[in-house]
Amino acid sequence: MTTHPAHLFSIATGSSEPIYRQLVDQVKRLVAAGQLAPGDGMPSVREVAQSLALNPMTVSKAWSLLEMEGVLTRRRGLGMEVAARTGAGQNAQERAELLRPTLERAAMEARQLELDPDTVLSLFTQILKEQA
Amino acid sequence: MTTPIIQSSDISKYFGSAIVLNGLDWQIMPGQVIGLLGRNGAGKSTLLECLLGLRELDAGSVRIDGEDVAQLSEATRARIGYVPQKSDLFEWMTPRQMLGYFKALYPRWNNAKVDGLLARWGFDPLMQNKPISKLSGGEQQRLSIIRALAHDPELLVLDEPVSALDPVGRRDFLRELIDGVIERGTTVVFSTHILSDLERVALDLAFLRDGKIALQGRLDDLLEGARRVVGPAALLDKPLAGELRRQRAADGTVSVVTYGGVAPVSSGKDAGVRVEALSLEDLFIEVTQ
Repeated sequence: MTTHPAHLFSIATGSSEPIYRQLVDQVKRLVAAGQLAPGDGMPSVREVAQSLALNPMTVSKAWSLLEMEGVLTRRRGLGMEVAARTGAGQNAQERAELLRPTLERAAMEARQLELDPDTVLSLFTQILKEQA
Repeated sequence: MTTPIIQSSDISKYFGSAIVLNGLDWQIMPGQVIGLLGRNGAGKSTLLECLLGLRELDAGSVRIDGEDVAQLSEATRARIGYVPQKSDLFEWMTPRQMLGYFKALYPRWNNAKVDGLLARWGFDPLMQNKPISKLSGGEQQRLSIIRALAHDPELLVLDEPVSALDPVGRRDFLRELIDGVIERGTTVVFSTHILSDLERVALDLAFLRDGKIALQGRLDDLLEGARRVVGPAALLDKPLAGELRRQRAADGTVSVVTYGGVAPVSSGKDAGVRVEALSLEDLFIEVTQ
């Protein structure tokens, strides 16, 4: 059981995605991928706010949403930790859903470029193979 | 219901025959961290000066904690910090002398904070004893910020506080704002053109246009609620819910910016109508021009 450092997270300004939303999605991706394991300690709101130079309310909003959704749980005493997986954990379908915002953006750009679905899909398949 | 820390009602301000503030209403609640945005010349500095009672109003009133700003009590004045856009520091003094002078005026002067900031922001003993007029623009701006933070104000008003700072200086300032100011529950009102800094610290935004607050809201809500709908004129002939601005291109394509409407971000499936999310920069351009 490790406690993760604040610099595990990063955000981008200038996005149409609010910063709290970026943090929520990032934590979910890290949990889905197993980089954040059940029982792992999360850095405090203050640590993340300092590390990323963010208003603490923004980090706090992200952590609270993640708690509400059952991704994080409050530790006795201070801080948050990654929640134990309920049931069999996330299946591939649920993990794939986490890709949706990124893919929706890519889909929008593909339409702007007037590309047909087959061209886009074969490019994506190629990229997936390159990274593997 | 808490009462606003700043309540401006129907304020107007003319420069000669030009109207800069035109019946503007604006409330700022205690603990808010709010960014004021607007084009160059929109009147942001004038508005901030009027809020602090530094300029006489042609109409309307501003109250801070219920007191008329034209006759603020010493006690209330001592709880306000202000970083003006143009440094009004006493240029013939050294930083040491200037800070000593202000220390005598404020009962709640925080020596430890001032010394800490001077050390962290590169004011070595040599620089502390140099006339302020000999400091660079960035150094003068940092000194102005130190002076404004020194008495732990409950209301901090900053007019383009980082315009002369490099990225490292801006980040230092942001960290100080987060750790030393926002954490204490201080109300912060600031104008800036550096949207990336604004996104990091401001929770609320207000856009100044045509002498009025044209749009105000939570930053997160603004990003999640603002949409650009683009499509052929024939499909977008009716006003949309929450419409802010409408433009027609030469080729007949119509682009409508909405806020708080219902349009979800969507594909081009609806016969060529596209709905896009906006970044803060997009929103700035759409709302202020």
